[in-house]
Amino acid sequence: MMTEIKLKNFIYGNVHIAPLAFFRIALGAVLFISSIRFIAHGWVKDFYITPRFHFPFYGFEWIRALPPVAMYALYGCMVLGAFMIAAGLYYRTGVILFLLSFVYAEMIDKTYYLNHYYLVSVLVLLLAFVPANRYFSIDVLRKPGLKRTHVPAWTINIFKWQLAIIYIYAGLSKINADWLIHAMPLKIWLPANQFIPVIGRWLALPVTAVLFSWCGMLFDLSIVFFLLNRRTRFLGYILVIIFHLLTAVIFQIGMFPYIMLAATTIFFSEHFHQRMLGSLSALRPSLRRGDIPRVYVSPAGYKQAGIFFFSMYFFLQLLAPIRFLLYPGKLLWTEEGYRFSWRVMLMEKGGTTFFHIVDPATGKRIEVNNRDFLTGYQERMMETQPDMMLQYAKLLKKEFEQMGIQHAGVQVESYVTLNGSGSRLFIDSSVNLAAQKETLFGHKKWILPYQP
Amino acid sequence: MKQKTTLVLTAFAIAGIIVLFSCSKSNNDGGTNPTGQTDSALLNIGKNVIIPSYQNLSTATAALDASVTAFTQAPNATTLANAQAAYKTAYLAWEGCSEYQFGPASDQSLLTNTINVFPTDSTVIKSNLSSGSYTIDGISNLKAQGFPAIDFLLFGADNAAILARFTTDAAAANAKTYLSAITASIKTKAATVAVSWSGNYINQFTSLTGVSAGSSLSLLVNSFVQDYDVVLKNYKLGIPIGKYGTTVLPQAPAKCEAYYSGISLQLLVQQVKAFQNIYTGGTGYGFDDKVIASKAQKNGLPLNDVINAEFTTLLAKLSVLSDPLSAAIVNNNAAVNDAYTEATKLVVLLKVDLSSALGVKISFQDDDGD
Repeated sequence: MMTEIKLKNFIYGNVHIAPLAFFRIALGAVLFISSIRFIAHGWVKDFYITPRFHFPFYGFEWIRALPPVAMYALYGCMVLGAFMIAAGLYYRTGVILFLLSFVYAEMIDKTYYLNHYYLVSVLVLLLAFVPANRYFSIDVLRKPGLKRTHVPAWTINIFKWQLAIIYIYAGLSKINADWLIHAMPLKIWLPANQFIPVIGRWLALPVTAVLFSWCGMLFDLSIVFFLLNRRTRFLGYILVIIFHLLTAVIFQIGMFPYIMLAATTIFFSEHFHQRMLGSLSALRPSLRRGDIPRVYVSPAGYKQAGIFFFSMYFFLQLLAPIRFLLYPGKLLWTEEGYRFSWRVMLMEKGGTTFFHIVDPATGKRIEVNNRDFLTGYQERMMETQPDMMLQYAKLLKKEFEQMGIQHAGVQVESYVTLNGSGSRLFIDSSVNLAAQKETLFGHKKWILPYQP
Repeated sequence: MKQKTTLVLTAFAIAGIIVLFSCSKSNNDGGTNPTGQTDSALLNIGKNVIIPSYQNLSTATAALDASVTAFTQAPNATTLANAQAAYKTAYLAWEGCSEYQFGPASDQSLLTNTINVFPTDSTVIKSNLSSGSYTIDGISNLKAQGFPAIDFLLFGADNAAILARFTTDAAAANAKTYLSAITASIKTKAATVAVSWSGNYINQFTSLTGVSAGSSLSLLVNSFVQDYDVVLKNYKLGIPIGKYGTTVLPQAPAKCEAYYSGISLQLLVQQVKAFQNIYTGGTGYGFDDKVIASKAQKNGLPLNDVINAEFTTLLAKLSVLSDPLSAAIVNNNAAVNDAYTEATKLVVLLKVDLSSALGVKISFQDDDGD
């Protein structure tokens, strides 16, 4: 009985809307900056306009790069959408605009897949379901009737659950011999930063890599509990700041640390968020004038659908990161079940590929210069990822058929090193990759097993 | 409670500053390392390998330009022989510089794809000579300038015919102007790059430590891996021996570097030695020291030993060949293919094992990772 009431409170209990409103503003602002940053770095051109070919996701081959003007427009939509989210201006439209344009761009080419882009997609998707614009927003200024002071607890808790899944899976993925015992890849990455001011000299010490590996794992596994508990929350957030800022200094990981700094504020109490909004409202006092308690009631008739949707959603969120267990072999080597699993900073992996076109008519073997077809960045990502090699092999077959080689066979001699293993053969070089089929979840038998 | 708010606001402020900092970080404009800590490998390779190479190139290309001037003023067998000798010296000097396609070389377009595009296009050169209208460093003239164009102009026929081209031929005056324009352009670029390296750039080079995009180590490793993989392995060996052609005809010896003067192999060996020199840092601190410190292994052996051994093997395979390489491709094909196989093994060691041991990403787009 007690637990049932607790659960009900956890989902439907009325809580103040302030954490949700602040979360919307913080996340929207970070996304706004990061979209502008992406355009300013010239990446729209480098990633979507310059390449001749792209590596679409399985089943989403219909998602194509758009003409240059449209690509910029797509990123323009992201900037606008992020602004609308942060400002709470036509909020739902803004969320959907951002979500569609962002997801479309990310799906064009898996070369650019990053866990933090996936994180952004997931958080913005969740934002689409919650009334984060009903407080401290331009929508409320426009239509004061929209204003609510309280929301059902689930609208805030879904973000906590999502963040808990992310941190805990990131932590679990660090429990392996490479990370904890060999301190790989930090043993390679930290000394590479030994010349940065102040902390550099410490980074080169072998013990630092071991210490950082263990602390990183413990941080990921425990931080959510620190943040959930009122008494340890303050300490927890200090740890969040230290951890993410340190990674920002040492690694080139762009906006990820700032997204996490913004997102984890959701764990703070409503009083905290009210105070934060209080200091923001200096900009526009009318935003907070006359807080008459009004509870947000979810639209009638959606309760069952909502429960079903979120049960399924979180079930999949829990399942996706462990799907790798169904594949044989070492996950970091084959990368089967690697994406969408919150595995971050786990490997120093490099490779090179010598693709050969075999002309069945003459028996001639032609070596391929990958740069004739791919950008350097695409080539690098392809050279360690089997599913991309397969896509590339099929592309080569097509290209060489246009050059007059019918039924071309495509073989690859590929060498990969993983976490200091030293380069070794990665793919069975006798296999005609052009004749292999890609499947949604099937195991690729032509990946050579990792020899420890 | 109030301090908590202050703290969080401070955190966001710090975060904001770092965002700005990291955004501007990629447009490196130099600056010095505030702690005074420097990367000994960058310092040694910069000062004792790269700068001397460019000074050598600067001297050699100035000498080339001078002897070409002497030749065009008085074309005869002696001045021609001098110009031809100066060309060989300058070309060999270039092999010690083609590995650094960044910084000043990139600013001055002293690059493989501007001054060493081979095979040269003799049709374009001939039409330039007869028309007399061209832009020597123009984008449409890339295949008709640089060392390969000099190769054609000074060696493209027997010496008597070459002298005739510069004396009795209807377009002789144009030929003199054309040859001089090429050597003058290379000389000017090489001098500027040499000055810039020993002037400001060396400080920038040694201060941009770390391995992120834009760091000197990332630039250097990416540049020399690209030069080794594409220029040395593909263009100097792979294409002439027919690894890349789609036609049934297996060989294209005329696509060798320095095809007319027939010094392809000398140039190739010189370039391999240049790579070896960068790797070891000569007698000073080099990549080898970094690799040793990383304790990286390959097949159970120290990676450093494996790389050094592969350099030795490759040079041994090349030493059994003799110039002209274009003839060796036809007459001694198996031995050339052996050398190609070894050259390929070194691609794997440099591009995969070396870069991974250092934590340097190959073809490092200035992008976010995670």
